[in-house]
Amino acid sequence: MSGTATRLLNRWRAAAPRADALTATQARWLGALLAAAMLPQAIHLPIGIAVLGLALIALRLAVTWRPRVRAFAFVIQLPSWALAVFALAVALAIRQWYGYFLGREPSVAFLFVLCGIKFMEARVRRDGTLIVCLATFLLITPFLATQSMFAAIAAMPAILILGGALDVLERSSVSQRRDWRAPLTQTLTLLAQGLPIALLLFVMFPRLAGPLWGLPADRSARTGLSDTMTPGMFTELTLSDEVAFRVDFDGLPPPPAQRYWRGPVLSRFDGRVWSAALPQLGSVQASAGGRSIGYTVTLEASGQPWLFALDFPASLPRVDSESGISTPPATFLGITRDQQLIARAPITQALRYSMVSNLRSTYPAASASDARANLRLPAGNARSIEFARDLRSRTPDDSQFINAVLRFYREEPFVYTLAAPLLEREPIDQFLFETRRGFCEHYASSFVVLLRAAGIPARVVTGYQGGEINPNGGYMIVRQSDAHAWAEALIGGVWRRFDPTAAVAPSRVERGLAGALPAGEAVPLLARFDGGWIKKLDLAWDALNHQWQRHVVDFNHERQRALWHEWKLDLFSPWQVVGALVFVAGAWGGIVLLWLIIRRRRQERALVLWDDVCRRLSRAGLPRQPHEGPVAFVERAAARWPQFGIALKAIGEAYAMLRYGNLAPDSRERAALVTTLKHAIDALPSPARLRHANP
Amino acid sequence: MSARALAPWGRTWTAHLRQRAFRTAPADRDPVVLRHSRIYILPTRRGFMLIVTLGIMLIASLNYSLSLGLGVTFVVSGLVAAALLHTFRNLAGIKVRPLAAGDTFAGERIAFSVELMGGAAARSEIMLHARDTRVVSDVRAGAALTLTLLAPTDRRGRIPLGRLTLSSDFPLGLWRGWAYVHFPLEGIAYPKPEPSPPLLPQGTGGADAFAAGRGGDADLAGIREYQIGDPPQRVAWKAVARGAGWFSKAFDGTASGGPVILDYAALPRELSHEAKLSRLTAWVLVAERTARPFELRLPGIALPLGQGREHRRLALSTLALLPADA
Repeated sequence: MSGTATRLLNRWRAAAPRADALTATQARWLGALLAAAMLPQAIHLPIGIAVLGLALIALRLAVTWRPRVRAFAFVIQLPSWALAVFALAVALAIRQWYGYFLGREPSVAFLFVLCGIKFMEARVRRDGTLIVCLATFLLITPFLATQSMFAAIAAMPAILILGGALDVLERSSVSQRRDWRAPLTQTLTLLAQGLPIALLLFVMFPRLAGPLWGLPADRSARTGLSDTMTPGMFTELTLSDEVAFRVDFDGLPPPPAQRYWRGPVLSRFDGRVWSAALPQLGSVQASAGGRSIGYTVTLEASGQPWLFALDFPASLPRVDSESGISTPPATFLGITRDQQLIARAPITQALRYSMVSNLRSTYPAASASDARANLRLPAGNARSIEFARDLRSRTPDDSQFINAVLRFYREEPFVYTLAAPLLEREPIDQFLFETRRGFCEHYASSFVVLLRAAGIPARVVTGYQGGEINPNGGYMIVRQSDAHAWAEALIGGVWRRFDPTAAVAPSRVERGLAGALPAGEAVPLLARFDGGWIKKLDLAWDALNHQWQRHVVDFNHERQRALWHEWKLDLFSPWQVVGALVFVAGAWGGIVLLWLIIRRRRQERALVLWDDVCRRLSRAGLPRQPHEGPVAFVERAAARWPQFGIALKAIGEAYAMLRYGNLAPDSRERAALVTTLKHAIDALPSPARLRHANP
Repeated sequence: MSARALAPWGRTWTAHLRQRAFRTAPADRDPVVLRHSRIYILPTRRGFMLIVTLGIMLIASLNYSLSLGLGVTFVVSGLVAAALLHTFRNLAGIKVRPLAAGDTFAGERIAFSVELMGGAAARSEIMLHARDTRVVSDVRAGAALTLTLLAPTDRRGRIPLGRLTLSSDFPLGLWRGWAYVHFPLEGIAYPKPEPSPPLLPQGTGGADAFAAGRGGDADLAGIREYQIGDPPQRVAWKAVARGAGWFSKAFDGTASGGPVILDYAALPRELSHEAKLSRLTAWVLVAERTARPFELRLPGIALPLGQGREHRRLALSTLALLPADA
């Protein structure tokens, strides 16, 4: 290093030491706090940012631990402006990485690195305060990504260390005490005492029905259905083990062939891509007929504005009908004329709703305009259209035509496979007459095109087909790999469901994806039958997660209202509830203080016992002189009553030890001495008998 | 009722309230036990920042519907709430007794000792604060702890301890609990002695009482070992320069050191009132050190001829308490 730089550094060092400088212990605790708070967040960040943030912490800790290692010492002596420049560079890099800066994920990433930078320049206790606050805020950011049980457990060490770090920061230098365990034990006590307040707040603090400010769309892609269907989309979906939703049935679950979970209805076709028409609100059409079934869906956040229901919905979704009130979820918008349930905004948090469906394959069409919109075909695919018109002319009616088409799929050498060849131009023609290898979207798409060509209104319906019953908990899991596409045709004023995939691979509907695909194709592990113990473990874990999701994560505005209703709290006016809460909080304070005082009383016992001994001996005629210490006093008493000398001396020694010995307040020795004291006192006769006792 | 009749009542009422809240008057009697009515608690800077952080976390969790975020926010809130109770408990029940107030010379520090008894519970990080001076200590369970505050003085006269603040931000530094105690405890600051005063006035009065510097050495009786406090002009500098050690010149008290009269009125007129008191103070010290009886004559008050520690204390106190505008 050049002479000038050294001089500058020396001047900086001279300025640094201050009365309230952070001690090495305090720096270590802050480092531990940051590490514990940052690790759970790190796994959700780009690897570079995660490593950078944690490396900064590690570097500073290394310097603190081994101050003699001069190689790194320059780190904590960097001037603030250098770190500010560094922070700016990091911000630019993050902007570059995400493509934008003012969003949730880049902000969290920047905050993450900022924690590291602030720790690098932390010199005084006031810096410690800021670090504690940053770390505390960082505790909740991982929950933006996941609210699993693991995420909850991962936050716990940081909370514990937070208390310890605050304790160590508070300590002035006069009592830099104890080992590292004491602050943690103290924090545990405080947390235990604060837990009732935390629970009370969790249950009673009013939740919001909707967000306060607009949630910027999460720009990271989620797996799941979308409102368009392109060739190959479902193939990707089936590779995902992720849970789409879970279902608790009121009675028996429906048979596999009737597990059609209705999602986006796609009626527009541009020759390659199917897309949904603008939704038009309608009403429930399938209110009667078929087996009626009630169930509760717990929908995972999908980032899409729709809900799923079994074909066909017989009611609107309700929230917690068992609690008395049953209203549609706040985010629910309505049911479309296509019988699809749609939400006001993308589902960004898990949603739980109750439904009733009628298990049937038809429902009456709402209006005749449905027919026109579902007949349009783009130019192209001439061969398919020709084929359909020709086939229609040879069949007496629409139903027989459809049966003939299904027979065509069944009898020609069509293969149900994930490894469909890429279709370049005229994809329907190519698929129907050349490749004949495809997945559900190919079959549904080509089927609808054939029907429309023959003058039958038809459309594609996407959603999930199937679902697996978890034996642990008896609910159904529907995974992304259950995604499916089928078709609906309007015949005689009634929409009827057809599944051309079932014509090719009947076991897809009966036994799911793994049962239908040829051996050797890549099916996600958990969608297979032979998952073995891993699958069993996963099902057990999923059952636990389901409960967690139901009772903790989904405790939102609606669930809270339902609980309040159950507890009859909604019968009281808000100020009465607030009054009751204040009362409960006051009672809590009283109980905790009482606890603290009882513990103190236990320590006071020695004083009380000794007072008692002095009073008794005084009544027996031997008052203690004000100047007399306990040992001197019992010596005098032992001289007066030598037959009780041993007990008296034991009392004096035990008391002197308790009072003046250097024993920890809660130590075992102290408790043992109190016991000794009590036994020795019990050995003394009553004052009256003592008075007349002769030596 | 007329407004005039109400006014005094109103004044006493506010005064009573002020006294109860801020203990502005030294009206506390020994001993004071800190109870809830005396203890105040507010967040510290750190506590305030943490509470603000928790507020931001609360709003963020509500907005993004993060149940776990709310859970963590409330668990930490519980920690903060429990810390509040511990802060209260750490102060509540402490018994405070005023022990003693010291004496000193103006400009030096004066000692006030206060005894703290924590009862059966250990008390941590109790800070005692009065007169811009603070001292921090733990109080062990069952022990009585004597704390001494060394407060700076800037003038002579009675120095009250003033309002004593006991405070603590134990256990987490999030809350600061404090209590005011105001004992009528007073120390005394004597006038600051003149650094190098002229020699003592000679004889028992007369015009030549202030023949300073004349014949001083004639009364030299010998030298003795230097004692701390000996004025520099009595140091045997020749012996020091020879390297023989530190010695002071001793004067024969009986030979020339008869009783002296320290008379305020006889001091040069150009000296200010305080300067005169400073010189008299210095002389009292010299007279006491050289074991010469002295008589002190001050405006409006006079001390008869006397000698010894008690006489010295009396003289210094009289000088300290002399009104400023005499």
